[in-house]
Amino acid sequence: MKKFLSLALILVLTLSLFSVAFAEEYRVAYIARAQADSFAAWLANAVKEEAEKYPDITVDIFDGQANDETENSLIENAITNKYDCIIIQPNNGEAQRPYAEKVVAAGIICITTNARIDGIEGASSVDADPYEQAAVNARYALDKVPEGATAVILRGPAGNFHADERLKAWKAEFFDKRPDVTIVGDDYANWNKDEAMALMEDWVTANEKPIGLIASMNDNMCAGALEVIKDNPDYKDVLSFGVDGTAEACLLIEEGRMTATCLQNAYELAELLLDTSHKLLTGEETQIDTDVGNPLYTIDNVAELREIHVKAGALQ
Amino acid sequence: MQTDIKLELRNISKSFPGVKALDHVSFKVRKGTTHVLCGENGAGKSTLMKIINGIYTPDEGEILLDGKPVKIDNPIHARSLGISMIFQELSFVPEMTVAENIFLGRWPLDKYHRVDHPEMYRRTQALMEREGLHYSPYEQLKNLSVSDIQMLEIIKAVSNNPQIVIMDEPTSAITDKEIEKLFEMIRTLKERGASIIYISHKMDEIFRIADDITVLRDGTMVDSRPASELDVDETIALMVGRRMENKYPWEDVPKGDVLLDVKHLTAQGVFNDVSFNIRAGEIVGFAGLMGAGRTEVVRALFGLDPYDTGEITIKGKRREHLSVKQNIADGLVMLSEDRRRYGLIPIRSVMENVSLANLKKFIYKGRLHRKEERDAVTEQCRSMNVKTPTLETTVEALSGGNQQKVVLAKWMEVDPDILLMDEPTRGIDVGAKFEIYKLMIDLARKGKALLMVSSELPELLGMCDRIYVLSQGRITGELRRQDFSAEQIMHYAIGTDRG
Amino acid sequence: MQAKQSKANLWETIKSKYAIFLVLVVLFVICSLLNSNFLTWGNLTNISRQISVTTILAFGETILIISGLLDLSSGSVMAFAGTLSVMCYKAMGEGTGAMLVSILVAIAIAMFCNALNALMVTTFKAPAFIVTLAMQTMARGAALLLTAGQNVYQIGNYTVLGQGSVWIIPIPILFMIFFFLVTRYILSDTRFGRSLYAIGGNEAAANASGIAVNKVKTAAYLVNGVMVGMAAVLFMSRVNAGLPNGCIGYETEALTTAIIGGTSFTGGIGTAGGTIIGAFIVGFLNNIMNLTSVNSYLQQIIKGAIIALAVIYDIYAKSRRTRKKMGNIEDKAAKK
Repeated sequence: MKKFLSLALILVLTLSLFSVAFAEEYRVAYIARAQADSFAAWLANAVKEEAEKYPDITVDIFDGQANDETENSLIENAITNKYDCIIIQPNNGEAQRPYAEKVVAAGIICITTNARIDGIEGASSVDADPYEQAAVNARYALDKVPEGATAVILRGPAGNFHADERLKAWKAEFFDKRPDVTIVGDDYANWNKDEAMALMEDWVTANEKPIGLIASMNDNMCAGALEVIKDNPDYKDVLSFGVDGTAEACLLIEEGRMTATCLQNAYELAELLLDTSHKLLTGEETQIDTDVGNPLYTIDNVAELREIHVKAGALQ
Repeated sequence: MQTDIKLELRNISKSFPGVKALDHVSFKVRKGTTHVLCGENGAGKSTLMKIINGIYTPDEGEILLDGKPVKIDNPIHARSLGISMIFQELSFVPEMTVAENIFLGRWPLDKYHRVDHPEMYRRTQALMEREGLHYSPYEQLKNLSVSDIQMLEIIKAVSNNPQIVIMDEPTSAITDKEIEKLFEMIRTLKERGASIIYISHKMDEIFRIADDITVLRDGTMVDSRPASELDVDETIALMVGRRMENKYPWEDVPKGDVLLDVKHLTAQGVFNDVSFNIRAGEIVGFAGLMGAGRTEVVRALFGLDPYDTGEITIKGKRREHLSVKQNIADGLVMLSEDRRRYGLIPIRSVMENVSLANLKKFIYKGRLHRKEERDAVTEQCRSMNVKTPTLETTVEALSGGNQQKVVLAKWMEVDPDILLMDEPTRGIDVGAKFEIYKLMIDLARKGKALLMVSSELPELLGMCDRIYVLSQGRITGELRRQDFSAEQIMHYAIGTDRG
Repeated sequence: MQAKQSKANLWETIKSKYAIFLVLVVLFVICSLLNSNFLTWGNLTNISRQISVTTILAFGETILIISGLLDLSSGSVMAFAGTLSVMCYKAMGEGTGAMLVSILVAIAIAMFCNALNALMVTTFKAPAFIVTLAMQTMARGAALLLTAGQNVYQIGNYTVLGQGSVWIIPIPILFMIFFFLVTRYILSDTRFGRSLYAIGGNEAAANASGIAVNKVKTAAYLVNGVMVGMAAVLFMSRVNAGLPNGCIGYETEALTTAIIGGTSFTGGIGTAGGTIIGAFIVGFLNNIMNLTSVNSYLQQIIKGAIIALAVIYDIYAKSRRTRKKMGNIEDKAAKK
């Protein structure tokens, strides 16, 4: 019985391999950083949706679970499975670099995205740069934050590439240039809204002078901090910044509670990714490096952000 | 004369919570002889041996080895002094092989300080060939029989050429053929000049091998003499001592209806066709050797273990499926032989333990009425004479006798009619034993039906109205009080009925 | 002599029974001296509100640990039950009726997950550790699948429970107090509670005393489910969103709280009062470290050290119980 089962299993596997080999479709593996990270999940969903517009492409999504080890083995598996194209959204660019090189060496089309892994011979890239995303916020804040204001920083998880890059941008583009601003709170809220709330509550209590700037590494934590001070009259002038351009941030900016966010437009990234994949797969081009913009949304242009979300069905 | 004393114990005393296990015990072991230590259960034999082996430290007294005082810290230290012990409870790792077990803790090492496996198996093989054992050194212990393992334990103790070998009832789990082999081994050891301390209460064995005999009773040394100066009857008299007249407060209580009637109770491979009954006011005993199936029958009746077939009638009602809950509701309760495992919640208070089985009595109008609980428990503890600092004291802090009384108090709370008591006096001191006997007769007077399982024949003879004897899972005999005879019970128990 | 002894005993009782409370009082005084903002009504309500969700979870864990079980899935189950509840509220078009249904949905989902935990533990005799670890992964997956990994926004008046107040007391605190009373009632006033202690203290003896062990264990998980469900509603309401990635690590926080509050990991020991005190100890510590801007890496070290101390204390207290037992014997011997 057992033998029969294993034989049957082998037969099915072989057949499925053949059917794959004979299909006209291009098979694309999309290795996501983490499905539990809301932006990464959003991007993966967008890629899946966008792929439906291409009848000759099927995309399989894999979850790197925010773990270098997992992500690397997923890349190796995709090579073994002979995908035609492998899209890597690195958890940590340097950790995935040798694996991206392996993809190229195996003669498979390799695209790195969000963020790009630089300098891989023969690989293409479609990027939204985390440093730049925070930098546009920081530059905008530079002349808005009043003299001698206090600031708090909400960090992403320790050691996370995106969190580190965005923090680097805030330090270099804002805090180094504005020594008059004192940082009164700086802690890890791990992308989480609830952790950001608890931190903000304590900071508000600890500081009699209202905090002037909330520099948050993503919108989720920024929304948490704003939740704490939403009915507090002392905080009507607080400036707050996030990254991602989530629907929640869009609403907060419209209400005038949040200052600005930098959009990582998952839809735009997905569109570009599929377009790039298609061009590379059909041999139209052999190497592409392209970028989506890092548009900053404030009260002045938030309507455009809303439009994107309405189109996607996230907002009415 | 003094020079051939290998080991001497002087005035050794040792106490455990609630029990004085040893009281100023002294004796000497001569070089190249077998010294038998005998006494009833709980006389202190095993405790004394554990002191010699360094498992316990004595509260008082000293140990002299070759005339020099020594302090034995632990079994490893004892081994380095040439003292080796064969335990009553087997102390092996079942998942390991024969060789690994024999060399447990003293593995032969190679020059890089790694365990030298080839050497270990080679030496085991040699040892086993020498002792005439037939199984492979690579065999896992769990695949061997109990008697094989016991023999292995003996070989292990002998393997490192000890000067003193302590054997604590080594023949309890081995076959007759193996007993002969053991005695052969003892002779060889003696020829090598080693001393053997042999614990047993089997008279035939004792007089076959003993050079000297020391008798212990209730933690004291009664007598110590060369074996040639003693005979079986005298030894037994020394072991048992002069019995107190009122040691067993039995009285003839009028008997009532049959409260528990068991017919043809069978659990395949455990016990077979067991039929017995108990009347109101009657104390019925279960006698038999270890492994005769007495505990198993009691556990099955209480609903702890399953059984296959049988007709059980409790207070006139047929019961098809026995469950603990139903039994308690019917007024049938069990006192386990292993009270720490099945009787008590050791880390909880006396109060919680006593009210555990009948808490619903104090719960009405949606809450527990603590005052009523306290009053009832206080009363129960008083009538049971439980000695505890407070009712909040955890049960684990009490002595064995008081723990047993707490279990009894718990069951008294549910006011049972039938009590199955498995070794009710095991591991408790003489005073508490007497209190439990008194309680049993009080209960009988109140018209309760009592079943007493015991390995101590004297207490069965002293307390019971009737005794059933079990052997290999079957009832092999039934005696009324007027016919009680230890000899007859022993024959039934061994299964060689001559009566 | 007699009087002196009873006085010493009284102090012993206070020390052993209320030691954890003394720790809290000392900590409270130290915190008040360290930072002037600590001892303000605003800060104290902040702390209480911050700890309320994990404390409710900790009550569930206390009940489970006492009976020798535990729940590693509570954080994930919260995320699952909470997001579903929020989605249900939105789908029903808000309003009080919708809120009631949403609460029931959250509780029902959490109870369902816990019923599965109980089934595995009782029927298949699987260790609670592994079973609830499996549930942790499954429930998180379910929450992410349900929402495609995206937060649910615009939840309107769902926030009232988490952010509103009755008079000057935030609603989550009222829920925490409510569940404290429920837990206390269960543990000290019911047969179910006594059965939990008995099973955790010695399962075989509990069974042999007529306690339906499997029923009690199942009930313990279901009660835990109610608390997890309500905690989920309060959490989502407080953060004003349905967060499928929320509550990560909440089960560990809850376990820590219970253990610091004197619940013994080996089962059979623990109280509702101890747990709430444990919660305030953790709450005070987190708060004072933030108020005085202790480096966040250092915060982790301090928190870890406190957990270790709590466990060591637990073991120490146990060994002292045994030593006390020896003391008794000596007393008796002395009297002789």
